[in-house]
Parts: sequence; structure tokens; C-alpha cells
Amino acid sequence: MRALVLLCAVGLTLLTGCQSAPVAAPSPTVGTVHRSSDGPYNDTDVMFLQMMLPHHHQGIEIARLAKDRPVSQDLKNLAAAIELTQAAERETMTGWLTGWGQPLVGDPGGHAAHGGMPGTTEGEMSTLAKKSGAEFERGLLNMLIAHQDDAVQLARMETGSGSDKQAKDLAGRIDQSRTAQISQMLALLG
Amino acid sequence: MRRRHAITLSLAAALVAATLLPGGVAEAHGTMSDPASRVYTCKNEGPESPTSAACKAAVAAGGTQAFYDWNEVSLIEAGGRHRELIPDGKLCSAGREKYRGLDLPRNDWPAKQISAGNLTVTYHATAPHAGSNFEFYITREGWNPTMPLKWSDLVLIKSFTNVNPTTFTSWTLPIPQRSGRALIYSIWQRVQYSQEAFYTCSDVDFGGGPNPSPSPTVSPKPTPSPTVSPTPRPTPTPTASPTAQPGGTWKAGTAYKTGDRVTYNGVNYQCRQPHTATAGWEPPNVPALWQAV
Repeated sequence: MRALVLLCAVGLTLLTGCQSAPVAAPSPTVGTVHRSSDGPYNDTDVMFLQMMLPHHHQGIEIARLAKDRPVSQDLKNLAAAIELTQAAERETMTGWLTGWGQPLVGDPGGHAAHGGMPGTTEGEMSTLAKKSGAEFERGLLNMLIAHQDDAVQLARMETGSGSDKQAKDLAGRIDQSRTAQISQMLALLG
Repeated sequence: MRRRHAITLSLAAALVAATLLPGGVAEAHGTMSDPASRVYTCKNEGPESPTSAACKAAVAAGGTQAFYDWNEVSLIEAGGRHRELIPDGKLCSAGREKYRGLDLPRNDWPAKQISAGNLTVTYHATAPHAGSNFEFYITREGWNPTMPLKWSDLVLIKSFTNVNPTTFTSWTLPIPQRSGRALIYSIWQRVQYSQEAFYTCSDVDFGGGPNPSPSPTVSPKPTPSPTVSPTPRPTPTPTASPTAQPGGTWKAGTAYKTGDRVTYNGVNYQCRQPHTATAGWEPPNVPALWQAV
């Protein structure tokens, strides 16, 4: 369930994509190879991008919680850098899917077959937003750690089973940078 | 149906989502419900207000998210490489920081009372997948729950291949004799269309056994051997030519401020947003952080 909900969470532009998404049973299409002018890509590439887009969106929402709160400067800087870099990556990923003629939102059944979509929810975020002081800062750090830990998993799906070089390179950088961010945040937690 | 909604989700989107989703399709996730895994126990206690000391400690250590995502203690590209990917001491979290609270070595995790002989165990899969393999392990006699759980602590009880699980799937396991506390570990390895594997830690108690005192006085920690003579740091390689770049060559781990300048692969960049540099955030890869100058 959450798989689709999250995939539809990106906003109105993508909502259309949700509505038109075909409801199909999970199919063994992981090896399907498509052709583009840049070379071959497969269903894992497409699924990775379709799952990463809403995940990035969520990450940005979580990072923004640090903006107007009295959190440490280190966390503020990291959160701002996460917001900026993920917004840029989101544009890049959207461009690839569009270039391939693939929908920005995929078949939910197909995604569920590959592990579903981890993510943070509105309820968790509003619970966090009600906290203050050190409790808020720890909660935000833990939420971001969990979120980026999920991103690492999605990235490893792509580096392990994807085909498109650009997408795999991006996944590799996501794996590295999120792993490093997690280390930084664990250090901030002390 | 899910009880939670994603951020920024409008009601309209929720309705669209709900109508699109065919009944039985959900995430390919799950955990042991009986004997309850640590994550299942704390999720049932409530992530925001756990009752047991162990769950309170787990939430304090790693936050609440792990328990909302109780059915995702998994590695998406495991492909059977469990022992290679998950380090000793992190078996319950699958080596994932998100789930680090599950690794706390404690002897007060809520535990089911069991005894040797046949035991029915149940797995709660929110999305079962055909053709899966399940392995069940128990800790060796003498295992100390206050020490980090290692792969070498586990003894295989039974494995099942080509299983077609349902939402709640039960198996009968021949449980060997143990005394005191033990832990049942399971691995659910998907086989079809995915390399994903799920990991669970369920605490059980055979009773009678003298629970090991919280801190075993037995093991006088071998002094953290400084036998490896602290290799004198290789003298900081004199940067080729300090071409008056205040920041020098870009380096992961450095905290950069807006306006700092670095070189990377012969190109000069200026920092646009304060951050600590990391691999994956090399200047040409993150124009949001670095501007070529």
C-alpha cells in the first residue's frame, strides 16, 4: 500500500501519472532491456528512478524541518546541503525518465515485487515537529538517518541490478554520500 | 490497509492510490510474529511510547522510525550473502543504522517462554512472495545475551526452500535444549525477481538457566592492543604546488564554508553552501554545492 501512496506523494504533476499507472500484477520483467539513444537501460533503472523521486521529495521535506528550528549549525548546514543536492538530483532523474519516455510514477505492483517503498510518513513528521530542543534535534537526526539508510538500500538495488551507466553512477554516489551523511549524523548524536 | 499517510499526501491522492491498489498487493515485507521479533515487540508496544525497558532503550538509541518500518529489516541486494554483508554484532539490524536499536545486547528483551521440542513459529509477511527460502537458527548453548550477537553464535535449526508464504505462515521447528535466554534468528531470502532478504531476532527463554549477570566479570578485556605500533602518519603530502588556493585540493571530510575555493581534477570550484565534503559529493557531481570558477 505504502508503495503506491508514496509514489503518488510527489505532487499534482505526478498525480496524473498515478492515475494513469496501469494496475498490473508483478511481472518478471526485471531483465527487460530497453533501448534509448544513450544506450540500453532496464526495468531496474526505471524502477530505481521512479522510487527515488518520491523518496528524494520526502528527504527534502524532512531536511526542511531543520530550517527554522534552533538546531546546531552543523545540522543546519547538512540539512541545507541535503535539500539542495537532492533537489538537483530530482531534476536529473526526472530528465532521464522523461528522455526515455517512461512515466515518472511506475506500476505499484511491480515496485512491491521488488521490495516496496520505504519511507517516512506525515504522522511521524508531525509527531517530530511537536518536539522541541534537544529532543527535536535527536528525533530529526534519527529520522534523517533512517531515511538516508533507506536511500542506500534503493541505490544498491540499482548498482546491483541496473543497466544504465548514468543511473548506476548516480546510485553509486547516492550510496557513498548517504553513507557519509549517516556517519556525520551519528557523530552529531554523540 | 495502511494506517499511515505519506507526507504531502492530499486526500485526493490517497483516494486515487487506494482505488488503484489491487487487494492483495502490498510491500514484500515481514517479520517473525511468534516468537515475536524485537522489532515486532517494540512496534506493538508503540514506537512513541514503548513500555519495556529494552524497547525504550532501542528507541532512545536509534529513534522511532525503525519500529514504524517494522517489516523492512532487510537488505535489498542480499542475494544470499548474509554473512558477507552483515558484520558480527549487527545481525539484528541487518547492519543498517536505521535499525541499530535492535542490536542492543541486553538480557531483558521481552522473551517468550519456550522449551525443547517442537515449537510452532509464525512469520507475518505483509506481502508474501512465492518461491522464498527461510532459515531458522538458535543461539548456541552458553550464549550470553549481553554480548554482541555473532554469526558464530548461531546454530541452524531448520531451513525451508521454495516456500510459498501467506500473510501468516507457520512452521514447526525442532528446538534443541538450552538453558536461560536464547535467541531465534531467521533469514527470509527471496528468490524470484529480487535478491532481497529479511532478518529477524526473537528472544526466547527456556527458564531455569542462570541468566548471565549483566556484565560478565569473566572476560577481562584484553587491553585494546596498541601492539600495532602507531604508524607514524605518512607525512601530509605536500600539496603539489600551493597555487594560492585557500582551500587547496578538495578533500572528503573537510568542512567547507561558502566562498571557499578548491581544485578538483584541475578545475577550480567555489563553495556555494556550507557542508562537510563526502565521497559522492565531489564538486563536479554536486553543482548545488560547488560552482566551477
